[in-house]
Amino acid sequence: MSVPVLQVENLHVSVAGTPVLRGITLSVPAGEVHAIMGPNGSGKSTLAHVLAGRPGYEVTAGRAQFDGMNLLAMAPEARARAGLFLGFQYPVEIPGVNNAYLLKAALNARRRERGEPEIDAFDFLNAVRAQMRAMQMDENLLTRGVNEGFSGGEKKRNEILQMLVLEPRLALLDETDSGLDIDALRLVGHGINSLRSPQRSVVLVTHYQRLLEYVVPDRVHVLARGRILRSGDRELALELERRGYDWLLEEAAAA
Amino acid sequence: MSALERMLDEFASLSDQAGAQRQAAAQRLRIVGLPARGEDSWRYANLRALDQVRSFLPGAAGALPLPLPPALPGYLRLVLIDGRLHREHSSAEATTPDLLRGATALPELEAVSDQRLGLIASVFAADPLELVINAPLALEIVSLSSAAAPASYLNLALRVAPGVDCRLVERHLGGPEDLRLVCVRLGLTLAEGAIVHHQRLFAVSAQALLFDTLQAHLAAHAEYRLCQVAMGGSTARSTAEVRLQGVGATLDWQALAAGAGPQVNDTMLTVLHEAPATRSQQLFRGLSNQRAHVACNADTRVAAAARGARVTQSLRGLLDGAGAEVDLRPQLTIDTDDIQARHGATTGKLDEDLLFYLQARGLDLDAARALLKSAFLGEVLGSIEPEALRREAQRATALRLGDDALAEPWQ
Repeated sequence: MSVPVLQVENLHVSVAGTPVLRGITLSVPAGEVHAIMGPNGSGKSTLAHVLAGRPGYEVTAGRAQFDGMNLLAMAPEARARAGLFLGFQYPVEIPGVNNAYLLKAALNARRRERGEPEIDAFDFLNAVRAQMRAMQMDENLLTRGVNEGFSGGEKKRNEILQMLVLEPRLALLDETDSGLDIDALRLVGHGINSLRSPQRSVVLVTHYQRLLEYVVPDRVHVLARGRILRSGDRELALELERRGYDWLLEEAAAA
Repeated sequence: MSALERMLDEFASLSDQAGAQRQAAAQRLRIVGLPARGEDSWRYANLRALDQVRSFLPGAAGALPLPLPPALPGYLRLVLIDGRLHREHSSAEATTPDLLRGATALPELEAVSDQRLGLIASVFAADPLELVINAPLALEIVSLSSAAAPASYLNLALRVAPGVDCRLVERHLGGPEDLRLVCVRLGLTLAEGAIVHHQRLFAVSAQALLFDTLQAHLAAHAEYRLCQVAMGGSTARSTAEVRLQGVGATLDWQALAAGAGPQVNDTMLTVLHEAPATRSQQLFRGLSNQRAHVACNADTRVAAAARGARVTQSLRGLLDGAGAEVDLRPQLTIDTDDIQARHGATTGKLDEDLLFYLQARGLDLDAARALLKSAFLGEVLGSIEPEALRREAQRATALRLGDDALAEPWQ
């Protein structure tokens, strides 16, 4: 049996001394899309950010492996270069840092890690423009500061654009669907689907199952109070849509 | 003996004190004295550094102390060494009597703010010059400080005729020599409808004491667009006063000051809106590395007569080191009801969220920091033209901050 792309075992995480994740165990094989759902404050975003290496979180127990590597021992940039991509729920604006410049720098960092030469400027622009057309993004956004003055939808599409250009091995998408109108949601869903392949894995963090109408997950996990309460297939997401989270929380409390 | 007493004694010892104006400046300096740190507008300047100047005497005319930077395409060039005109390396067209005049006619501009350090240049500059610009002109002034002189002075006045468009580049360069004084005084008079695009780069030696005093008077509908990059010396103080005297006169002031190590880099801007419908945009960016102290005091005064004035003031400081300091003082005094004014001043460290975002895209922490600093600096550097000058300013900034990554193009 092949090694999962992402293997998380009994992960405990605290923020400023307060436990937020209380024993997460999760295995994401290559080629699969997993959705992590849960109510507000359940620890979904914390999980994504801890896996991406954001400072400020204390891992108090457990481990996480990415393609067999000890993920928690790697610097954030090393994780990114190894092929882990975090799509931010709130992409930051970076005035003065050109969008195209960052995208190219990020791509070349990936390529250097793989022992490949830096991408030719012409090839880069051609590739990016093709992806921008697919995401129905205005090419002018490429020459602006990163996310500077972008609408909420443009920022999310820009995250997906970066993901498409970087072609990560594992994409962690933190509530990429939040704040999107129905057309943007469909585009984002299309973008994620275009990346699906037997070599890649995707973890979608989301409140609602509406994104899952466009990106059909292989597995759905319900995270609440820092634990995964239940895992299932797409039917679980549909059940959550009908019944909400309370019944699961009550079941967990009774157990 | 105080620095002032030594100055005046050394001036008295000069055999060449040509010009009543220099005598008058010495007399004025004797009366008003030097500023002191206890004074409000000098609280951030390191004036004690003047006591370390071993001599205030200007150097004799000498050879080029360091290689000249490549000429800017399309610009005439004036080269000055320790404040003296170097004709051999200057464009012949820039030294014609129609354009360039000697000291006798040099006008003194009436000042409202503190111009005392400018008096030092008026006293000691051996070769004060006046440029009279009656036709469109692109001119670069390269001012070099030589190792031979303990002090280097430049005293220059520019008068721009009505409706004339002038592009002016000013570069003050020095080698890595010992402590020396570089003192610059610049006076500009823009007649009605004149437009001056002025770019100033101060990249003197890291040990130098740099004192720069600029005054500009703008008549009706004149436009003065000034972009200044100040990389110090060990101690730098830039004092600027811009008077918008005519209806519709416009100032666009952008300044970048960076400091590293124990450097003190202090900027004082006074803008006087004295006529209706005058405009000023003021943008300051200050970056303090390590233990450096960067300061900006932007004092804008809008007179009762300046109805319909517009003022935009944006001051930002970036701290990059445990002992780094940035002090920003936006000041706005308004004596009219009919005005639009916006101002903001913020100082902070590099944003942790932005750093993580860049790391999450594969940039290592040092590269991420450099990129964010470049973006900050780029708010001023990005507006410098031509590109060759922008690159030079960027390299000078990277050199002073000791960060090669800042010299890389970030766009």
